[in-house]
Amino acid sequence: MTTASTATKYDDTAAKWLIYPSLIFMVLGMAFGVFAAFNGFVVPDYFSGEYVTFGRVRPVHVGHVTLLWLLSCDIGLFFYFVPRLCGTPLWNQPLAKATVLLWWFSLVVGVFSFPFGTNTGWEYAELPYWVGWFPIKMMFTVAFVLAAIILYMTIFKRKYEKMYVSLWYVMGTLIWTTFTWLVGSFVVNWVPEGISRVNVNFFFVHNLVGLIFTPMGLATAYYALPKLSGVPIYSHWLSMLGFWSIATVYAWVGAHHIIHGPMSQWLQTTSIVFSIWLFIPVFSVVTNLFATLSSHWEKYQASAPLRFIMMGNIFYLITCVQGPLMALRNINEITSKTDWVIGHSHVSLFATFSFFAAAGVYQALPQLTGKPLWSKRLADWHFALSLLGSFPFIASLWIGGFLQGMLWSDWASGSSYAEFHNNLSQMTFLQTVEFMHPWWMWRFIGGAIILFANLLFVANVFNTVLLPKREEEAYS
Amino acid sequence: MMDFFKKAELSAILSVIGIIALFSLSVAVVLVAPQHVDKSWVEPTSPYMVQMYELSDPNVFISATKLDTQDVEVVDRLTAGESLLAFQETKTFKIKADPSLQRYITKEGEKPLKLTSRLLLLRPIEGGYELFDPKKTEVFSLGSPDTTLENWVDQGFVVLDPGAAWHKLSGVIYRMNPIEYRVQLYSEEGRQAWRYDPKGEEIASLEALKASPFKFLSRKELIAQGEHVYQIEGCWYCHTDQTRTLIQDLTLNGSDSYPSPPSSANEYIYQEVTFPGTKRNGPDLSRTGVKRPSRDWHKAHFWAPKTQSKGSIMPAFRHFFDFDPRGTGKKTAGVPNYQFEAIYQYLMTKGTRITPPTEAWWLGKDPIDTISIIEGRK
Repeated sequence: MTTASTATKYDDTAAKWLIYPSLIFMVLGMAFGVFAAFNGFVVPDYFSGEYVTFGRVRPVHVGHVTLLWLLSCDIGLFFYFVPRLCGTPLWNQPLAKATVLLWWFSLVVGVFSFPFGTNTGWEYAELPYWVGWFPIKMMFTVAFVLAAIILYMTIFKRKYEKMYVSLWYVMGTLIWTTFTWLVGSFVVNWVPEGISRVNVNFFFVHNLVGLIFTPMGLATAYYALPKLSGVPIYSHWLSMLGFWSIATVYAWVGAHHIIHGPMSQWLQTTSIVFSIWLFIPVFSVVTNLFATLSSHWEKYQASAPLRFIMMGNIFYLITCVQGPLMALRNINEITSKTDWVIGHSHVSLFATFSFFAAAGVYQALPQLTGKPLWSKRLADWHFALSLLGSFPFIASLWIGGFLQGMLWSDWASGSSYAEFHNNLSQMTFLQTVEFMHPWWMWRFIGGAIILFANLLFVANVFNTVLLPKREEEAYS
Repeated sequence: MMDFFKKAELSAILSVIGIIALFSLSVAVVLVAPQHVDKSWVEPTSPYMVQMYELSDPNVFISATKLDTQDVEVVDRLTAGESLLAFQETKTFKIKADPSLQRYITKEGEKPLKLTSRLLLLRPIEGGYELFDPKKTEVFSLGSPDTTLENWVDQGFVVLDPGAAWHKLSGVIYRMNPIEYRVQLYSEEGRQAWRYDPKGEEIASLEALKASPFKFLSRKELIAQGEHVYQIEGCWYCHTDQTRTLIQDLTLNGSDSYPSPPSSANEYIYQEVTFPGTKRNGPDLSRTGVKRPSRDWHKAHFWAPKTQSKGSIMPAFRHFFDFDPRGTGKKTAGVPNYQFEAIYQYLMTKGTRITPPTEAWWLGKDPIDTISIIEGRK
């Protein structure tokens, strides 16, 4: 059996140690999200008290899905496919194992400490500097840098001379992430107080998505798609174009999070211009992934993981068309500060990059375990329900958020302050909050479906890992 | 190690260098340049803002430790040669003084307003107040529970004996008619308590003021603690702290008659962490100190937001309080809880310090004349 011989060649222990727990944290994180959707919005403050308010639960949800799930899973997948693309085992497996232990310890302690008041107050950089005696943020930084070194050493010692595009993305994201993480976590405290720190934070916030999750997700997609479909990637040149345009553009766009805000206009304009350029990497990636499968659509029907990649690709197109447009001043005026933004972030982190990561896990699992997936039918349900849940989840946030933004903009109709102020008294802020209630209900329902879908996913994965290999089920 | 670099292909090394170069360029322009190009990123909005944060906040002391109420006691710390004091008579407020001290009193209708850096105090006597010299370098006076704004004068005043450099500025913060702070100690439920009493004992020192049983905290400490509360409670996930340059924002944060000026970069320079925010599940808070100045309103609101603001989805923050501020709960003499006062003091800095009270936007004295801009007249 070929899988057995590859399993002896590549030691996947460290990859497994990252991927398997990350799946548990994924459903935990989604559960925290569903709880927050219920307790913050559907029945506000139903469960009351210091430790369960939205403000304390939200960072636990975000910390789970960004760090404990997506980042951990992506690095785990790197530990799995980088050696295979290099034709050499992961460099220094004992160090990799130690890195993983440090990784989990720092993240778990950090994220679960939020309800007890350790939030640093910077978006996406909430991870505390200290929890008791542990310098959590520094410990995680060390773990990340070690992971980057291990992957770089593996690439430098590779046997295959030609570097596949996924390796480019891996190399890029490891450098960017290290820089971005250091800037957002530590450098933010060294610049002058006030808007300078805000600027650094938004640089970090955007790069976390643009320079970490995007290249990580694309590296995974570019690896898993040909492996799953047996079709080579459509164009190496397009993937290179995507890579270098990401490298050129993303770091400039942070200030588009504070358009119309208290930040220099030239910086806002700069961020808008570069945001529009984001169309280049997006279209190159989307074209490339679609073109790869374009003459083999029967494979789409046959494989849930392929459906995750292709549907993730559609959502990637949506989120990345949205993103630059949301940076335009006139669109930003309506969508900014509303639930539209929350919808946007969930399209990218859930419907795009979590879909890619799920496909990556499905692809890796038979190699990691030496067994076929426990149930293809469960995988089909995982995909179908994830997609089904995404629609009410995302559409409600977009439509509701957009309409709330329109309600706010109604205050500005008229030509005198007396009119503006009268508009406000006709439709108060709190009335626009009440308006959102049905939309928040749909978000909760969609979120609950997604949570259920991913419980099936996790059950399927752990059945594959833990149960003995079984005969292929009757697959209808 | 060299072997290792030899093995690494040239294209791999070039791409790593390229990635770093591209990234460094963007960092230089986006992160390093702005504070040097645009000075408003680091310079304060007004001298009033500087004096509020640097001179007033460290010297206003607040305590909420009394056993039977959460009403606050406010004490001002005055220091010789530093604090500026005014002693001004009105129709109903009369001051007696030794002939040698008469020159410090501004009589009714007299101009300009006389300010002094000499440390003098008032104490109540039959039919008015007496001005006296406590002959100390540090004293405490009775403060006002309304701590949001300070007395500010930028025309028609004279500093009789300027000491510190800021006394020569064109506008200064000062204390009007400071009255000596004295306390009466007593026992309640086996615990030591105190109340203001003009005939009581004086507070010996700053250390005594901050120690048991008084446990005063400076407004500076409270604002910092309030910022911390705002940070760890995640208030900033649902509230923005920026009035955008949009009419809807200027209106939402405006007063009945005047729009709020938009937030400027330098409003935030005295904050360790700044929370511009990305989402509004609740209203923007950047002008809260003007829109909602009432301590009682905030008490009721943090205790029961949904009762106080119909339609609100904000959770209750009862752990900010030792006991029900509405007075219906049972009396608890526990560890003093400053969380409410801290978050209140933090919120009261919002929108109240960008201009001095003489240029208060909510009274139509907005220096950038926002209303003309949004009505298209400018």
